[in-house]
Amino acid sequence: MNRSERNRLREDLQRTVRELSDTYEELTLLYQLSEDLAGLGVDEICEKLLKEVQILFDAETVAILLLNEKERHLYTKASTGNWNPDRIIPRGNRKSIFWRPLLKKKAITLCVTSSEKEHNELAGLGSVLIAPLTGKKKEIGLILAANRRKRDEFFAGDVKLLRSLAFQAGLFMENAILSREVQSFLIGIIRSFVRALEASSEWTAGHTERVTGYAVAVGRLLGFSPAQIERLRICSLLHDIGKIATPDEILNKGERLSEEEWEKIRQHPVIGAEILSELRGFIDVVDCIRYHHERYDGKGLHGLKGDDIPLKARILAVCDAFDAMTSDRPYRRRLSAEEAIEEIEKESGRQFDPEIAEVFSGWIRSAYGIEPPQPEPDA
Amino acid sequence: MPKVMVIDDEPFILMMIEDKLKSAGLEVLTRRESRGAVEQIRQERPDLIILDWMMPEVSGLDICKELKSDPDLAGIPVFMLTAKGQEDDEKIGIRCGVDRYITKPFSPRSLLEIVLEQVGEK
Repeated sequence: MNRSERNRLREDLQRTVRELSDTYEELTLLYQLSEDLAGLGVDEICEKLLKEVQILFDAETVAILLLNEKERHLYTKASTGNWNPDRIIPRGNRKSIFWRPLLKKKAITLCVTSSEKEHNELAGLGSVLIAPLTGKKKEIGLILAANRRKRDEFFAGDVKLLRSLAFQAGLFMENAILSREVQSFLIGIIRSFVRALEASSEWTAGHTERVTGYAVAVGRLLGFSPAQIERLRICSLLHDIGKIATPDEILNKGERLSEEEWEKIRQHPVIGAEILSELRGFIDVVDCIRYHHERYDGKGLHGLKGDDIPLKARILAVCDAFDAMTSDRPYRRRLSAEEAIEEIEKESGRQFDPEIAEVFSGWIRSAYGIEPPQPEPDA
Repeated sequence: MPKVMVIDDEPFILMMIEDKLKSAGLEVLTRRESRGAVEQIRQERPDLIILDWMMPEVSGLDICKELKSDPDLAGIPVFMLTAKGQEDDEKIGIRCGVDRYITKPFSPRSLLEIVLEQVGEK
């Protein structure tokens, strides 16, 4: 092998290493992306994808457009750089530069010198690279990169890379959309269920929704994650489901209840837990419902004490009591928010978890504009 | 010009890192044999060492331990390449003086970034 052959071999090797290195880079990225995107919601996926594409393609402008299925238009979900964040792309056909990638399920790149019409649609963007975002079944939208910083145009390798990124992100987005749909279907079913239950007694109408509103607010103040909040919402919507077994005459009775009737009412958390015990993936919900009338001091139905009572059940105990006190009952008039809060504070550490009682009363006071009680001056 | 020494028994990884770091104007020394690495480090005095953990003969961790116990060489930062899913190793490595972890497969672009972060000021 002479010198020039050796040199050529060395150059070939170097080129191969560089190509492999790019492929390695892409593989690493896809690997990392699938780890990063797992379990995220659509908003978070868009945010991550936007950032990644901006860095990877050295593009000043990146936009993610999602399909509005009803209107058949594309709206801007997230964007940076030279893209109007309010831009909507109206319904279009394969001739439109934005619709072509989605309808043909192909990534495309165009440089500044393309035909007049495309040039108008892409004014101010320079060369663009567009890839469709699709799931297994759903058309989701598209991602666009433009205004490359150092080089003017995108190349075949860029098209391929954005296509793979978009393909993977599309699957995760489809999952996120489906799981959001399932979640809202579930919550919808529970809501209808509860409304049917409450319809049997005018006295309890709206109780569940109000308690849920309070509980979610407390959860947020305690720093719950979105997933924990959803769980708390389910617990709260279902907390009185056991009252389905309480005779209507007791629920609607116009006078004070006898001890025997009270005993029947007191059983509703246990009955509720039994009704829901088939929900295997929702053990925490079942437990929360079973224990939502436990007393913090351990003198409740099951004798559970302090932190042994599930947190969500301790939250519900406070919210449930507040709503019961501030609602009219056939045998008594409701208390004012202020009186109810004083009652909750009096029971803090006895019936209620003191930390939750404090968070709740602080929140209600600010919501209702109630001043906290002033300590009596020393005599 | 900052000098980086890379020790890995996989030729492709070695060539890839070399190519990437050289593209940013760094001086790069590569080595496939782990035995004798410490002697070469002593002679060459690189500004940074990138070491593969899993190598036949002497492991990257052993090389790192030896470097960090030598007052003369202990100041040279060590980046360790390790396979994905061995996060527990990190704790061991950090105790042995590893300055930074890079899990394989890694992005050559981010590797270059963190290398420049480490030696760029020189």
